Amino acid sequence: MIKIKSLNKQFGSDKDDTFHALKNINLEIADGEVVVINGISGSGKSTLLSILGAIMKPTSGAVEVDGNNIVSFTDFHASDYRQNRVGFITQSFHLFDAFSVKENLFAALSLSNLNAKEIQIRVQNATQIANISHKLERVVSTLSGGEKQRTIIARALINEPQIILCDEPTANLDRENSLKFVEIVKKLKEMNKIVVIATHDPIFNELDFVDRVVYMKDGEIE
Amino acid sequence: MVAILSATLFISSSIQKDLLNTLEDQPDFTVQKYKAGKVLNTPNAWIDEFLEIKGVTNVQGRVYGMHYYDTLETYFMIVGVDMYEPQVVDSLETLIGTIDIDKFQSRKSMIIGAGVKEFLDEYHYFEYYIFRPPDRSQEKVYIYDSLSRESGVMSSDMIIMDINQARTILGVEDGYVTDIILEVKNQDELQLIKEKLIVSHFNVRIIQKSDIESYYTNLFNYKGGVFLALFLTTLLTFLIILYQRYSMVWHVDSKEIALLRMLGWRIKNIIWLKLGENFVVAFSSYMLGVIFAYIYVFVFNAPLLKNIFLGYKNLSNEVTFAFSLDLSILGLIFLAFVVPFLLAVIIPVYRVAITEPSEVMR
Repeated sequence: MIKIKSLNKQFGSDKDDTFHALKNINLEIADGEVVVINGISGSGKSTLLSILGAIMKPTSGAVEVDGNNIVSFTDFHASDYRQNRVGFITQSFHLFDAFSVKENLFAALSLSNLNAKEIQIRVQNATQIANISHKLERVVSTLSGGEKQRTIIARALINEPQIILCDEPTANLDRENSLKFVEIVKKLKEMNKIVVIATHDPIFNELDFVDRVVYMKDGEIE
Repeated sequence: MVAILSATLFISSSIQKDLLNTLEDQPDFTVQKYKAGKVLNTPNAWIDEFLEIKGVTNVQGRVYGMHYYDTLETYFMIVGVDMYEPQVVDSLETLIGTIDIDKFQSRKSMIIGAGVKEFLDEYHYFEYYIFRPPDRSQEKVYIYDSLSRESGVMSSDMIIMDINQARTILGVEDGYVTDIILEVKNQDELQLIKEKLIVSHFNVRIIQKSDIESYYTNLFNYKGGVFLALFLTTLLTFLIILYQRYSMVWHVDSKEIALLRMLGWRIKNIIWLKLGENFVVAFSSYMLGVIFAYIYVFVFNAPLLKNIFLGYKNLSNEVTFAFSLDLSILGLIFLAFVVPFLLAVIIPVYRVAITEPSEVMR
């Protein structure tokens, strides 16, 4: 369960140069819910996702995940949260291009205390869901855009997180790959994950498994 | 940088070791006749006078000098030796012990240094060389043997021959020697004996072992100035590399660090990772540099760099560097290279790691 309370994010400290990316956001997302946050560029979607993923601190407000306010986490707990509780799917292909698909997955697993067999099972499960298990040994730089996106999905799932955050996941995909991504989100819904998708792609608006579409404009929920 | 510094270190250690060996071999005093600011040949009669000074254990007259070969503007160092007398200089004593003196004296003979041998070979003097003494005569002297390269820097341009033969070639009259060397039993009496030598002859120039040591040190310091220029250039290059590495962390590694942070890596995990990665790079570079320097100096005999330390127009630069190594200086180079290199990486890594990942990735 995620509870966002009076969340504000302001960039810049000068009076003339401040930008309010988020203004008093209040939102609750239940377990197993798929929420689409819709809005044009600059509306504050990505900022909200960054705060939900504990890779950015808000100016004020709270984000409670299962009763814990992640905003007040120390680096130790925030890192633990990012490693085990949340998975990121980003629009830019944030991968280690010189490494293989498997090595990219290991980067997310390397701090866990899993044994070799458990790691193998995790890799198998995540890559099957993301439909990239046949390219495990391929170097990322040789993959297509769709394959890179599926590698990012597998990496987001590898630690079996409760929350999946997707920032413009189809922005760099063609329609065929976008539809494949939609199918993966459907599977995540079936796995009772919280999925938050920040997008302005209309493909997500009419999906029957999406629980809510939230519209944002100028840092506020409409 | 490591290669240049290590090569310099290898060369300087080798030279220092050789000079120290040479110094150990030097007599306590060398006495020369001195008049009107010029060094003259010293009378043989002084030898007996010096022997009467209490505390003096060994006195010997030496005949030596430079033989100039003008075609190549090159000097040979001729050293005359009395084969039937015990030698004050240990290395000469050892060398003469290996010679069949009767065979050596059966005709005009000489033993030549490795540098001289190379030079004579080049001009096809395989069996003998004809010297031109000051009286315009010709002295055909046969090559008895040559000294090995391992005998070091100071002997490379040396020719050893019978003392009378040397007198003829160098134009030293009978009853005279180039200088006289003395050994003193008790080192605490050096100053006293020096005073006695001065009192016995006012027109005397006395060179003490410590004077030679100072000369070598000054010579080495002068070469050190050239090395300093080389070192500063290398240091500047290293600073540019450090700055480049520092910038690289900001511009290239920052995304990687932010990505790892996004995946749940803690600041300390990232610092250890980068420390490990860059230590391997720095240590490998260091080892490669040292190995490269070793091969450069001791296998290829340090072309170019050798001339900085030994000069150009002298046969004495025709040397092979004998292995000598000061581990503490090598350790210092390790610290001077690896620590700044790691700091140039770790400082920006830390600064990137404590920045919000979202800000770095944006």
